[in-house]
Amino acid sequence: MTLTATSFDWVRALVHKESAIVLQPGKEYLVEARLLPIARQMGIADVSSFVDSVRTRPNPDHNRQIVEALTTNETSWFRDGDPFTALTSTVMPALLAARGPNERLQIWSAASSSGQEPYTIAMLLEDSLPGASTRVSITATDLSRQMVARTRAGRFSQLEVNRGLPATMLVRHFTRVGTEWEVAPTLRRMVTASECNLAAPLPRMGPFDVVYLRNVLIYFDLPTKQAILRRVRDLMRPDGWLFLGAAETTLGVDDTWERVVIGRSSAYRPLKGA
Amino acid sequence: MSSTDTGERRRSGEARPVITELIDEATVQSIADDAWTALVGEDEFLVPIAGEFPGDVLSSWVDVVGPWTGTVVLTTGRETAAGLTRALLGDHAPAELEDEDIADAFGEIANVVGGNVKAALPGPSALSLPDVGHAPAVRNPADVCRLEVLWRGEALSISVQGALPALPVPHQH
Amino acid sequence: MRALVIDDSRAMRRIVSGTLEDLGFEVNQAGDGQQGLEVLTGGWVPELVTVDWNMPVMDGLQFVAAVRANPAWRAMTIMMVTSESEHTQIVRALAAGAHEYVIKPFTADALRDKLALLGLLPQEVAL
Repeated sequence: MTLTATSFDWVRALVHKESAIVLQPGKEYLVEARLLPIARQMGIADVSSFVDSVRTRPNPDHNRQIVEALTTNETSWFRDGDPFTALTSTVMPALLAARGPNERLQIWSAASSSGQEPYTIAMLLEDSLPGASTRVSITATDLSRQMVARTRAGRFSQLEVNRGLPATMLVRHFTRVGTEWEVAPTLRRMVTASECNLAAPLPRMGPFDVVYLRNVLIYFDLPTKQAILRRVRDLMRPDGWLFLGAAETTLGVDDTWERVVIGRSSAYRPLKGA
Repeated sequence: MSSTDTGERRRSGEARPVITELIDEATVQSIADDAWTALVGEDEFLVPIAGEFPGDVLSSWVDVVGPWTGTVVLTTGRETAAGLTRALLGDHAPAELEDEDIADAFGEIANVVGGNVKAALPGPSALSLPDVGHAPAVRNPADVCRLEVLWRGEALSISVQGALPALPVPHQH
Repeated sequence: MRALVIDDSRAMRRIVSGTLEDLGFEVNQAGDGQQGLEVLTGGWVPELVTVDWNMPVMDGLQFVAAVRANPAWRAMTIMMVTSESEHTQIVRALAAGAHEYVIKPFTADALRDKLALLGLLPQEVAL
């Protein structure tokens, strides 16, 4: 049986409520593909029957599984590489000059998925900054408990290391463990991973010198976008740097940010006195 | 069970590992899953259920030579191998598939699965070029890791099987 | 831009060539390292070569070494596309002069990501 309109609408409402992510009509196939494995695990043959059973017997764990299955997507390592180039070319030199030699720099990878972004940052810093592991700490957060566990483990499948990770970095920073590749312990120690829902009040963290909040805002409606940007700003140092996805901007959303062009990418910095 | 003794005396320290000590079915399945997702199609699943093989089957295989020596063999019905070839080639599939197209594509799948099996085993090992036809015989039933799955409802097996005869049972003195 | 795709599997050549053609490459194919060298010595010198490792006649590693021995081909980018996936094998290929390494199985997106890293894609496609 294919997904009924009622089931799809219920899933859309749930996902929007829990994550503020909007599933457009036409994404029925995505709901089917992502929820079928969960339904089967529970011994239910099709997605509509599974959704019906969760609707009639509400269970927060099942709700969460549904939201997690629908809000994760494939990431590649140097996804849209310019924000990483900007980190080593401009942002790190500026921060190192502004901070004392014993001050630890804090970087936040918000919506870190299975860990490609925080470990990309860790690898870049390890390769370009002497003593990076003692000077920088990286906080990785994601909505999904499963993704946080994966980031902590620092293990990636063959298909995942194939996605935009330079081969020289693969052989320098990873070892093979069975069919997977594991990030070097030094890099794993730089990264702390925890669960965090950006659409809800944030836990006490930071203050952050650099925040990567990429390809997240696009999923949210305008009021949620504004609330997230405000909360992120509250966790940043006044001279911090925010990177958004290539298709995202604070312009027209929240005017308390200044856009700074760095090479081919842009960063946003809190406006003074705003 | 009798075994073929090569006449060599082996000390216990020289015992060859058998495949079941090195890899399990779940690992072979995850390797095959990745190969299917990437090459055959994003929505292609291998369901871990044993199916009925038709009379007309085709195998493709590659040899792994190293600390463990053996063969990674894929076997499925000839029609299913043709279906795999079409799925693999996608838009580039010719209207009429020739035996050579099927041998080539099915052999390449064995190469991809075999290469990744090899990498999960202790190395260094060498990988042979793929071969297609009747599956090579199992030499040592204790040295086999066999996975049976369904692809689009059709039976398919992946057998990681040692190429060497069983070691003689050590004599007690 | 031009690309030479070297693989002994016709199916794999079609897959890699198809992806590269979709990205705007003009593609030529060869079935082993020796045939690949013949294309190059014949004067068709592309910006990119993708090469398998295990092939009859001349394997991919020998091909990479042969290309690197000829200074006239220095500007050519070489990407290995192979099911050889041990750490040591990747190190050997890079040491021999390959620029990038794609492990089979791979998706079209994976090829595109690697080309973006190598600067062989127009920026707007690299998203």
